[in-house]
Amino acid sequence: MHSQQLHRHNRPRFRIAAACCAVLAMAIAACSSSGGSSGTSGTSGSGQAGGTKVAGGTATWALQPSSVPNYIFPFTSSTYFSTVNAEEFQYLMYRPLYWFGNGASPTLNTGLSLANPPVYNGKQVTITMKGWKWSNGETVNAQDLLFWIHMMQAVAPQDWGDYVPGLFPGNVSDVKVVSAMTLTMTMDKAYNPTWFTDNELSQLTPMPLAWDRTAAGPSDCVTTVSDCAKVYSYLDSQSKALSTWATSPLWSIVDGPWKLASFNADGNSTFVPNPGYSGPVKPTLAKFEELPFTTESAEYNVLQAGAAGAGQTIDVGYLPTTDAPTKPAGATVGANPVNGYTLAPLIQWAINYFPVNLQSTTSNGPVDRQLYFRQALQYLMNQKAVIDGPLHGYGAYTVGPVGTYPATPYLSAQGKQGDPFPYNPEKARELLASHGWNVVPNGITTCQDPSLCGPGISKGHQLVFNLPYATGVNWIDSEMSQLQSNASLVGIKLNLEPKPFDQVTAIGAPNCVVAHTSCNWDMANWGGGWSFVPDYYPSGETLFESGSGANSGGYSNAENDDLINQTLTSSSLTPLYNWQNYLSTQVPFIWQPNGAYALYEVADNLRGVTPIDTTGNLNPEDWYFVQ
Amino acid sequence: MIGFLIRRLFQAAVVVLLVTMITFILLRAIPGNVAVAILGPSSYRNPQVLAAFNREYGFDKPWIAQYLLWLGHLLQGNLGFSWTLDQSVASLLGSHLPKTIWLVGVSTLVALIVAVPIGLWQAVRRNQMVDYSFTALSFLFYAAPTFFVGTVLILVFSVKLHVFGPEGPQGGLVSDVTDWRDLTLPVVTLALVTIALFSRYARSAVMDNLTEDYVRTALAKGASARRVLWRHVLRNSLIPIATLLGLSLPAIMSGALITESVFNYPGMGYLFFKAAQQQDYPTLLGFIIVVAIATVAGSLLADIGYAVLDPRVRYTRS
Repeated sequence: MHSQQLHRHNRPRFRIAAACCAVLAMAIAACSSSGGSSGTSGTSGSGQAGGTKVAGGTATWALQPSSVPNYIFPFTSSTYFSTVNAEEFQYLMYRPLYWFGNGASPTLNTGLSLANPPVYNGKQVTITMKGWKWSNGETVNAQDLLFWIHMMQAVAPQDWGDYVPGLFPGNVSDVKVVSAMTLTMTMDKAYNPTWFTDNELSQLTPMPLAWDRTAAGPSDCVTTVSDCAKVYSYLDSQSKALSTWATSPLWSIVDGPWKLASFNADGNSTFVPNPGYSGPVKPTLAKFEELPFTTESAEYNVLQAGAAGAGQTIDVGYLPTTDAPTKPAGATVGANPVNGYTLAPLIQWAINYFPVNLQSTTSNGPVDRQLYFRQALQYLMNQKAVIDGPLHGYGAYTVGPVGTYPATPYLSAQGKQGDPFPYNPEKARELLASHGWNVVPNGITTCQDPSLCGPGISKGHQLVFNLPYATGVNWIDSEMSQLQSNASLVGIKLNLEPKPFDQVTAIGAPNCVVAHTSCNWDMANWGGGWSFVPDYYPSGETLFESGSGANSGGYSNAENDDLINQTLTSSSLTPLYNWQNYLSTQVPFIWQPNGAYALYEVADNLRGVTPIDTTGNLNPEDWYFVQ
Repeated sequence: MIGFLIRRLFQAAVVVLLVTMITFILLRAIPGNVAVAILGPSSYRNPQVLAAFNREYGFDKPWIAQYLLWLGHLLQGNLGFSWTLDQSVASLLGSHLPKTIWLVGVSTLVALIVAVPIGLWQAVRRNQMVDYSFTALSFLFYAAPTFFVGTVLILVFSVKLHVFGPEGPQGGLVSDVTDWRDLTLPVVTLALVTIALFSRYARSAVMDNLTEDYVRTALAKGASARRVLWRHVLRNSLIPIATLLGLSLPAIMSGALITESVFNYPGMGYLFFKAAQQQDYPTLLGFIIVVAIATVAGSLLADIGYAVLDPRVRYTRS
């Protein structure tokens, strides 16, 4: 999982400016008789038909607000493990072993992968490379893959951002290069092939042998694991020399469709096609540029202004949700307020939630641990109202630990039935009342019968909680206010504490016991939940297993752990269904809507951008302009 | 004068030191775990990674030890390393500060060129329609938040009229000169607020000076009203403006922070904006050091300028 996935939806925006912008736009539109963009609308696809394909041209792409690449080495530590560094930057040049994303579906894309699909035989897996080429003419082979695996064996616990103790490379006992193009791994047990491919092999990226060096000269990490730490240090230091990226002889060796032509630390990147790219689709564009923005408003200003000034125009940008007309019920896309662009919303392959801290050291800790309380709170989360209201229709329900969008075989039949806890204050009231609470609507509910309230809860205990949440995302602000209001109907007082995103994640994202951070909190909402990237298979070992570092609320349940372990070893989907059906009603977290990651705006003369990949992968080699 | 300068420089150093200490304490008082914020959500799978980070950057030490460590580095010219931007703070300041200085410098110059004549005109035409009009406009722009002014300008001149760019120049310092259409709106945004302030002071200063004896004397000796105004009154009226200019530096820098965010202008404000969002303490401290030095230097320059422009100050102090 990428840290940036948490950030994606939550980059603080210049909300007041955005609000004023909207007000002023309306005022100016009302005063002006000329036809401006603010007064017109279009729909998705209206401008995405016809035209003659032309080669060349420069396509510009707007980065998410305050989000710029700052690490080029694809072996990325936690500090730099983010979407903007990986999917939106490194992957353009350095392709992972296995590519995920088939249009909107987050599944293995065999055509874009560097190797043929892995072949499993009990505890052994065989990977056969396709023999694509690096830009220096060398072949992307099994040695390049071994180079990466050795690097992981040497430094992964400290320096690989997706490292999970006990999992890869710890669950692999032997790795052998059996031929130039073939590598075999022996695992500690026979795993579910889909899980191992989607969540373990998905982390591997072959590296060119030219990178097997230190400042002193060539090294031998590819054959000797003990040499890898120094190689890592060297490559890490080179990756931190941002000003040299575009000219570095190291980083210019690529196997992806693009090479970096220029870069500055503000995040302006220019890519040109890699003429030696072996993949099935070669770039048509002459250049691909990424543009940084401080805020959504700043990006939206440029999008609306078009070619005003001497500066840049945007070919693929995004519409702030607050500026999007509400999507009609049943429609896939609503009206588009920007002329000359087609609206293409992206809802990621993700779930959204906020943790209730079951390990809380506050006086509310015993309450947090009560299932009935979490279920009552879940009944007060009105997902429908949030999606229809502040999300303007651009969101998906979270019904449990498996995402509902896009449609995948991973979601159980029960999950497909929808929200297991539809908004129902009366059921919330009943749950509290039946467990010994004196429910005081619009007051403060107190425990009347401690024997029913639960262990550790004393008579007279009040349901008053602090709830820090990440500011900067309008729909989260609205959702939190709405939840506060809904909770007051059954006498639960939520003291909302708006804070910057990083502060909220620092408080609430870690499993406080595992990470040795403060457990003195009850709830925290950073707004972004969890994206299934680059662990595409939605099993629960990382998020929900007892003692997992990302198990933010510290939920622990032997039955749940057992069900999770079955998903890792069984090739059937049944254990996955059983597990999610069980866990969704356990409410380890409070499920909340998965809001759109971005409402992309694609210039009408640019093709190949849609359907946008729900994994967040970027494929500008598919893009082309039309006349 | 030299004694005065030495005394003021010493005071300035103490003020900067206190600012760094207070800022350091405030930043450390922000709730949450810095290591988790910097290393990202996946880091908490590995407590040893968090511990290593805290050890490497001294977060496992008491805050006073952390402060002294940072101060020691600062005295050696090492402003620290930005984890989030993956560069030294010195190099970040080196690449972003010139653009902010340019933006602030040009806008201040524009403000001075416009505000002083307006203030002069208002004073001469005081209590007339011209005076009332400019007073109203001054109050309007002085009261209007920078982001509001910037947003209005973008909507009118970029989105509607397509005359100027909606964002500042994106290249290096050279682009700030060549891409004048993109620089115009950020400069005007900052200048409008500053003009409002300066013109009010200029008006008051001119009005005060017009009642002075030397004006009556000059007129009595046959000097024309125009000559008296431009050669005598204007010069003396600039004294409070010079003071104000120095004292306004931090406010203008703050205005630049907002303006740069609105206009996506990659200067110091842009840098601060990102750093503040990401708990990037070294960069925040670096920025605050710059603003503190600008504030102290502005105050110092104002004092010196005042002493130079008004001999009475020197006589009094001596």
